[in-house]
This record gives sequence, structure tokens and C-alpha cells, in this order.
Amino acid sequence: MMVVDVALFASLASFQPDGLPGRHSRPIEFPDGFLISQVIEMLALPDEPRVIFVNGRHAEERSALRDGDRLAIFPPVGGG
Amino acid sequence: MREIMRVNMSDLSIKMEAVPDKWARYGGRALTSAIVFDEVPATADAMGPDNKLVFAPGFLGGTNAPNGGRLSVGAKSPLTGGLKESNSGGQAANAFGKMGLAAVIVEGVPADASAAYMLVIDPDKSAKLERVDAWKGMGNYAVADAIKAMRPEGDRYATITNGPAGEMGLKASGIAMSDMKGYPNRFAGRGGLGAVMGTKGLKAIVVSDKGLPMREHADKEAFQAAMKVFANALTTHPVSGQGLPTYGTNVLANIINEAGGYPTRNFSDGRFEGVEGISGEKQREMTLERGGNVKHGCHTGCVIQCSRYWNDKDGNYVTKGPEYESAWALGADCGISDLDVVGVLDRMCGDYGLDTIEMGATLGVYMDSGAIAFGDGDAAIATLKETVTGSELGRAIGDGAEATGIKYGVAHIPVVKHQALPAYDPRPIQGIGVTYATSTQGADHTAGYAITANVLAVGGSVDPLKPEGQAALSQGLQIATGMLDSMGFCIFVAFPVLDMPEAFGAIVDMMSAHTGDTWDADALMAVGKEALTYERLFNQHAGFTAADDRLPAFFTEVPLPPHNVVFTVTDAELDSVFDFVDETAKGLGIS
Repeated sequence: MMVVDVALFASLASFQPDGLPGRHSRPIEFPDGFLISQVIEMLALPDEPRVIFVNGRHAEERSALRDGDRLAIFPPVGGG
Repeated sequence: MREIMRVNMSDLSIKMEAVPDKWARYGGRALTSAIVFDEVPATADAMGPDNKLVFAPGFLGGTNAPNGGRLSVGAKSPLTGGLKESNSGGQAANAFGKMGLAAVIVEGVPADASAAYMLVIDPDKSAKLERVDAWKGMGNYAVADAIKAMRPEGDRYATITNGPAGEMGLKASGIAMSDMKGYPNRFAGRGGLGAVMGTKGLKAIVVSDKGLPMREHADKEAFQAAMKVFANALTTHPVSGQGLPTYGTNVLANIINEAGGYPTRNFSDGRFEGVEGISGEKQREMTLERGGNVKHGCHTGCVIQCSRYWNDKDGNYVTKGPEYESAWALGADCGISDLDVVGVLDRMCGDYGLDTIEMGATLGVYMDSGAIAFGDGDAAIATLKETVTGSELGRAIGDGAEATGIKYGVAHIPVVKHQALPAYDPRPIQGIGVTYATSTQGADHTAGYAITANVLAVGGSVDPLKPEGQAALSQGLQIATGMLDSMGFCIFVAFPVLDMPEAFGAIVDMMSAHTGDTWDADALMAVGKEALTYERLFNQHAGFTAADDRLPAFFTEVPLPPHNVVFTVTDAELDSVFDFVDETAKGLGIS
């Protein structure tokens, strides 16, 4: 097993498995080699476009996570 | 027929002129930049009698084009020394557009330097200058109240006002536009244009559009059809249709922080540990708790609705937003994580008439000097109060980040062309660095918003940490922005326009249907290129060279955590961004 810090933002924040509010990241255990797409499926995130970062860099859903990674998922956002 | 109103503050005359044929396709930024290029000597003193202050609605201003009510304000900038186009929401553009005013040019300076004037423009385009000497030194909110007290019952009008910062000639001063409720909270904030308005002795402009219909179109049915396609694109794209209306512009705080490009404590870190406290999500929760408004437009015709009102703990209106850039500047860049402090600072900037980006960056620089501590909200408020007292400290702060950094011996002064960098560090987000470095406006994110492809996955994807592709990205965005600013569109229409071909096609179709002429993509982009060409040539005449198209050295030398990277786009690539100017200038017959 491995532990990944998972942070969900904006409209996705309510999909944290603990059901608690807030955008702070939660350490969550996953099987080794778990893919981002599998995390998305497990969290039951809505089937909408999203922007994904692993350790502050853009990542593809097909990428595998590693122990100690920080995974952050956003719905499409913009402003400026 | 569109007309230009010329207001001469030296002899207090007001004249109407037809828009010259050469500017028949110009509105907004293209028009303000063309007028300043044509009429203001590039070597003029920005705060002297030869500078001119130009207000222009976009080409589609006053029509029912969705999100088409932005205002361009142009002049030679007292801050950058170059040609400035400062873009604002608010109601003035809509009013100007409806009465057929393509531009108002304010020129000359009053013989009596102690005089303050209000320009009142009625729906029939008749106009007069009134003395309002008693208003000198008044904040924008008090002036808005004073104007309201003078207007007839049932009037409909927009205001353009100048706060004490502009009257004092502070180089970070901006000009306030009233919103739909009459609050003077939308700003042509950047570049010190309040100081130009101050030298003209112009305290306020009131534009009444009572009873005026929207502008007609050559082909009404075709316009309606194109307008529907455009509005549909704005409301269905996830960024402009969901993210912005729900959370406002400050929804960006967390994602820019996650990308490691959220400038913290005077650009010394790319992540702020206090981001949650000033994030858009937190702002929405607090605003709703306090009975504030979390969704309205900044101008008539806005369908995105990203504006909001910030209330204090007792539920009283404090200020708009705060917008992402303001919450960042007055928050993270100062190490402040309390939205109530940010709200107070934002209100002070709004009332005094100061650019929130420049002021936040300036306070960050001042904190970096050690004079006050990062994170000290009370000290930040006390320092900002100094700006309108005339004290030595206040004058330095009010003249911006560079003036303050030099005075207080700060090594890292985040400015390009004397204007402070906005809310994205150019080291881990290199595309925006190209825009900061090369823009005619000085460091300005809106000039070519590379955050789209660099971070937000809008309009394709360009790795923000690498130099490859950034110059081309910035160039394309700068030209497209020049076009949108000229038509009067809010730049947030770019989110759908970059992703949905039908949205761009709808702009072409709206232009054709409105004018009865044939427009195509090339014709639209030509307007963007021409706006930039006037600005670029003016800046060259004013003495700018390639050396001015560079970031301060620390961005290429000091790595930024957490990615520990520096800005690596080459000088040759930066110098390629304006490679279209010579040919465009030749086509325009200017040099």
C-alpha cells in the first residue's frame, strides 16, 4: 500500500471520502501503482473536465501515483 | 454615426467631431491607442499639458453584444512612460456607446490649477463643465454620493471619478467607474491614469443614458443569431459558465498556488501557506454567511457574472470582490491570510483611487525592506493610509513598487517598464513571463494571459516550466487581446473563444451583422495587431528599447521554491514577440 495526499478544490471539495468540508489535503491509502484515473473512479468525481496536478506539475489521468505524492484535482477554473 | 467629443481643459471648450475614416473599424483599445499615438508627442511629460486622456467604449459598446461593455482608457502613462490602455468594467462604456460616442478626449490643463471640474454629458450628447472645487480631496465613494445628490429623480447615469491619489499625482493612481448599483468600484487601475486626470483638473465625469435604446445593427436578425451562439458559448464553457460565476476570479488562488506560481512575500516563494484563508472558495463561504452578493455582472450585458460584493462582519458593504489579483497582492504578496484585512485594504485603494495590484506589490516590497513585517495587516493598513497624507513615506508608496523599492533599498523589485508584476510568478509559469517582459503596457497579465495554456488547460497546453513555445503563445494571446479590448469584450470571453471555434466565429458574425461590412478572422486580428503597433511605436519614440523588454534579473538568477526554477526564455525569443510590427506599421503608413 502507499499513501497519497489528496486535495480537491472548488466544486470537487465535497467529494473527499471523509465527507468533511475544506480544501486541505487528506492522506489516503491506495494499492501500490494506483492510477490517477482509479482514484477519480474511487472518489466518484463527476464525469466532467478536470485539471490535475501531481507535486505541482500537470499530470495525465493514466499516470501511476507513488508513495508520498500530492495529488490535487480542480474542475476547470479561470479568472485573472 | 459615431462621434468623438473633445474636451479642452485649457479653454474649457467642448467640441464634437466625426470619427475619421481611418479609424472607422476601431473602438476601445485600438481607438485610444491610435488617438494617443497620433495626438500625444511620445516625449511629452505624462503629467504635463501635452498629454491627453482618452475614454473609449469598445466597437460593440452600447449594443447587446454579450460581455461587450468594457471601457478603454488611454494616455501616456506617468508610471511606465509608455502608451497605456487601462481597461475597465462598469457602466460608462455602455452609456457612451448608446449615445454614439466613440471616444471622449480630454486635453490641455486648466489655467487655474486649483480648480476641479465635473464633465456632465447628457443623453443627447450635450455636455458642460461644472466647477466642483469643494470635492477636491474627496474619496471616490463620497464623490459618488455627491453626484447622486445632484442628479434628478429617476435618472440613469454612470460615473467616472478620480480619488485623492490621482489628484495628488501619485503614479499608482487609477480611475473609478461606477457599477450597476452606482458603486465606484470598477477601475482603469493600472499605469497611473488617475494622475493624468488629476493634472487635467477633472474630478468626475457623469454620463446620463436615460431613455437611450441599445445601438442598432445593420442586420438585426443576423446579429441576434450570432449573439445567441456567443452567449451560449459563454454560459456552457466550464470556466466562464461555472467556475467564474460560482467562485469569482479568486477561484484561481488555489490552482496557481498548486502550480507553485503564487507569488508570496514579495516573490520569494511560489506557494503561500495561508492561501486557504484568502482563496475564492473561502471568500464565497464568508460572503454568503455575511449576506453579500456572490454573482453579478460588472457591466450591462455581462452573462458571465463573476463580480461579487464583500461585506464586513456586520453585513455592511465594504468593497467589490476582492478580485483574484487584489486578494493576491494585498494578501499573499504581503504574507497576509485574512480576507477582512484584504477587504479593508481593497476598499481603501478603491476610495483613494489606487491600483490594488501596484499597492499590494508595493507593500510587499516595503515589507521586504524590513520597515514593517510580512503578515502585519495593521501595519499594512497604516502604511496605505499614508498615501493620501502627502507624507514622504506615503508619496513613495503611492508612486508604486519601484519608487518604494529604490527609496528603501530593496534588491528584488518586481517591475517591468516600472509597473509591478501581477499574481503569477514568471519562473514556474514562463509564458506569462514573456507577456510581462514584452507587453507594451509594462508587467500586465491581461495583455497576453498565458495562464490559459500554461496552467488552466484552456486553449491547448504548453508546459509552464519550460521555455519552449512560450513566445509564440504570448504573441498570439497579445494580438487576440488587442482585438478583444478593441471590440469592448471582457477578456474572460477568451476562455470559450480559445476552446470553441463557434465562439470566435460568432464574434466575426456579430461584427459583420452590426456594421453591414464583411469581417473575417484576419480583419479582426488586424485590429489587434494595429492596436499593438501604435503602442509599440509610441514606446520606441519615447525611448524604449529591447532592454526594456526584460524581466528584472532576479527572475533569471534566483530559483523559486517549490520547483526551484528560474525564467529561461531567451532574449532572442522575447525579441521575436513583436515581429509583426514593421509590416503592420507599413500597412498603416506610420513609422
